[in-house]
Amino acid sequence: MTETVDVLPEHSRHPFIDQLQKAFRNNKLTGVGAVLFLFIIIIAIAAPLLAPHDPLQQHIIARLKGPSAEYWFGTDAYGRDILSRLLYGARVSLLISLTAIGSAMIIGSIIGIIAGYFGGMIDLLLMQVMDVLLAFPALILGLIVVAMLGPSMENLVIAIALTAIPPFARTARAPTIAVKERDYIEACRALGFGHPRIILKHVFPNVFSEILVMGSLWLATAIRVEASLSFIGLGVKPPTASWGGMIREGFENILDNVWLSVCPSMAILLVVFSLNLLGDGLRDAIDPKTRSDS
Amino acid sequence: MTATSKIEPVLDVSNLTTSFRIGGEWYPAVRGISFSLQPNETLALVGESGCGKSMTALSVLGLVPKANGRVEADHIRFEGKDLSRLPDEEMRKIRGNGISMIFQEPMTSLNPVLPVGFQVVEALRYHQNLSRAGRERRALELLDLVKIPSAKSRFKEYPHQFSGGMRQRVMIAMALACRPKVILADEPTTALDVTIQAQILSLLNELKAETDMSMIFITHNLGVVAALADRVAVMYAGDIVEIAGVGDLFARPTHPYTEALLRSVPRSDRDTKTLYSIPGAVPPLTRMPKGCRFTARCELAVDICRKQNPPLDALAAGDAHSVRCWVRGNHDRAALKENADV
Amino acid sequence: MSEPLLRVSNLKKFFKVRRGFPNPETVIVRALDGISFIVQRGQAFALVGESGCGKSTAGRTILRLLEPDEGSIEFDGQDVVNADAKQMRALRKRAQIIFQDPFSSLNPRMRVGNALAEPLLVHGLMSKKEANERVRDLLEEVGLPRDAGIRFPHEFSGGQRQRLGIARALTLNPELIIADEPVSALDVSIQSQILTLLRDLQQRLNLSFIFISHDLGVVRYFCQVMAVMYLGKIIEKGPVPKIFDEPLHPYTVMLRDASPVPDPTARKAFERIEGEVPSAVNPPSGCHFHPRCPHVMDVCRKVYPEWIDVDAQRSVACHLYTEGRGGLPVAEAG
Repeated sequence: MTETVDVLPEHSRHPFIDQLQKAFRNNKLTGVGAVLFLFIIIIAIAAPLLAPHDPLQQHIIARLKGPSAEYWFGTDAYGRDILSRLLYGARVSLLISLTAIGSAMIIGSIIGIIAGYFGGMIDLLLMQVMDVLLAFPALILGLIVVAMLGPSMENLVIAIALTAIPPFARTARAPTIAVKERDYIEACRALGFGHPRIILKHVFPNVFSEILVMGSLWLATAIRVEASLSFIGLGVKPPTASWGGMIREGFENILDNVWLSVCPSMAILLVVFSLNLLGDGLRDAIDPKTRSDS
Repeated sequence: MTATSKIEPVLDVSNLTTSFRIGGEWYPAVRGISFSLQPNETLALVGESGCGKSMTALSVLGLVPKANGRVEADHIRFEGKDLSRLPDEEMRKIRGNGISMIFQEPMTSLNPVLPVGFQVVEALRYHQNLSRAGRERRALELLDLVKIPSAKSRFKEYPHQFSGGMRQRVMIAMALACRPKVILADEPTTALDVTIQAQILSLLNELKAETDMSMIFITHNLGVVAALADRVAVMYAGDIVEIAGVGDLFARPTHPYTEALLRSVPRSDRDTKTLYSIPGAVPPLTRMPKGCRFTARCELAVDICRKQNPPLDALAAGDAHSVRCWVRGNHDRAALKENADV
Repeated sequence: MSEPLLRVSNLKKFFKVRRGFPNPETVIVRALDGISFIVQRGQAFALVGESGCGKSTAGRTILRLLEPDEGSIEFDGQDVVNADAKQMRALRKRAQIIFQDPFSSLNPRMRVGNALAEPLLVHGLMSKKEANERVRDLLEEVGLPRDAGIRFPHEFSGGQRQRLGIARALTLNPELIIADEPVSALDVSIQSQILTLLRDLQQRLNLSFIFISHDLGVVRYFCQVMAVMYLGKIIEKGPVPKIFDEPLHPYTVMLRDASPVPDPTARKAFERIEGEVPSAVNPPSGCHFHPRCPHVMDVCRKVYPEWIDVDAQRSVACHLYTEGRGGLPVAEAG
């Protein structure tokens, strides 16, 4: 009567680990993106150790210098070392983006999963609110928030998070609706589990990878929005170094020293590029169409 | 293999092997099967999922994905041509024309955004030299032939306005469009309710009586086999393990797998006190055992079964009933060494 | 006879469907249109019918996975329809469900051991350690290795997953199991393994079943009592052997005749099998089956037939059995 179970593999890994592995194995660029992004994070963290100069120290004599042995990427209008400001700027940009996207991910997912899971009026109401937010372009919404609350690091985080919540809610809602229809959710209800448990232990783990992909792609957007807001002066207040702010400062002196805006631009390009590589690879790996199980 | 007859078979498949590449290695999903199809005959390929029955059909039609699939055969002879060596261009002309196929899923086999009648007309366009009006007339005839009620008024309707059974009728109409010699039907009734299944089966039986077409009918349902097959080939893990006339096979199931399968089906026409269960499951393609692939689940297995795959031999000289089994088959033991398994 | 385990009376479930464009209108689909039946302890009761007849809806409504719109459900004398959250939690332990699709019935992100232990822990029945031991026993009970619990669902075959679904349904020691087409997605050889397992469990644990199926062979093997459904209504019910030997309703006859039998000598022409199941949105007037019925009479087109008790165990909803009419012609019933 017993079915022989000799076909079971010897080890047992979480399917999420399998997906990650697939993402890196099938597409080498995913790994390139991940390594690049990790590298940038490490640099940002280690900025105080790596920076050759104090990013705020002005050397009026050495203003607007080109690259040299002393100042690898030259100096800005106040004679501050561009390389050091870039490294410290990375901290600011990444900190703002990561916090903003992190909170957007949590809040957006909760909203999306609740809307998708319960459906009906709750769904209608929550998603209407999200749609209103979604109607504003990210930059405009950020502009309104910062203009209302005043430019500061915290408000920048709030502004970016606010723009990112609706897409996360949408991203979480769609797979939730699909998962909700699966028999194992019905089995949970038949077994007398409460909604919080079903949502946390049975719905969330099955929509998490989709949210994660969205997170990596939106992180890139957040970095761009942060830079844009800082560029128009609604971001981090000077003299704190931020990439967007540096581009603006460089813009004013672009004829004297191109490096001033090119360097932070390149930094932004690199981060966005690495995150897009990573996000695309992850997305391909978890695409339901190519997924083998579930 | 089969009884020698003077009539030329419409389709003759010899030593067909279809392999797939999994993780850099090639594994045969169909391994060296041979069969022939007589004019106006219905041959059923029966077996459980993974036995290679659908792959056999796809191989005959040259539809095995080339990227990781490989089809080899001594020959697949149809109308004097060897399909296994035909260029793609030539093969395309045969598909839907000389040989056509009906699939399991009538929901996805039709294009949802085109009217049903138009799709039948389309099937005619590629292969038949008819005027536009002629094509439409013929399409209507076909829909009448497959007994779609008030076909004329439904000609312009879309697939979603058709029920599952009606869609399968449309699929059959399209398959019949160019009066093919052979129809390959891959589980065409599996997705349907029993009363609709019965209607489709009787439609296929009628069509066969009215035309001279031959059919290869792929199914896992032994009841369906009994309802329409002339001859049956039972497949297991890529091998044909038994082939016989339908009456003979059900009266005298000889291969242990065939016998076990018949005893595993709960029947609606009589009481079943205890149901037989074949232990275990079909081994995955990547872990096929050496020798006879049924050994691990077979009650009769002896030593030789684990070492060599038995040949498919007739039970008696000239008998149309052949079995691939060391224990039950009729084998010249001296031939064992020559048939050593690879 | 003792008090029945389950008594379902006049159960109704309607769905609202909005359809049409650009002016959608709300249509009510009567998925369950007043079904009544009784399941005795230890009995396997079959709900039989073709797709869209409401048999799966019936199973889910009885467990209140769908809220019933009308009618009553009594489980062991207790009112299920009006049970509050606490009573419902207690009832949930006593009635469980197993599903058709083994690939959708297990959470792909949860080790199966944890999935099986979860209900025991949620209901506070055992300590974690006891639960783990119970899981190992359960796995063995359904014919899987005791240490299979550390694996994820995708590592199991379809038949093995179906065993896991059965094990999960057994965790809380239920008295009633609703089995929704539990073997129809499986291969023949695996199907017989699962059926054998279910029958073995039924006998050992004295389980009752509501067995939802379209396969008459499986029903004949597994069930003792059956009800045939057509478009949201039960049209005939009675003991399995009697219904197979001598079906009363013309639809039951049609179903039986359409079921393929693995015997080429019994090959038939499927003559009297006409038409298709109409849409439940707009069922035919009178008896829903009349457009397909070979014995249709005038009254069938106008009036839905009353329930008629043909004998102590059997009843049918068909005008052929109302007073003065003798039922089906003898030749067909045989």
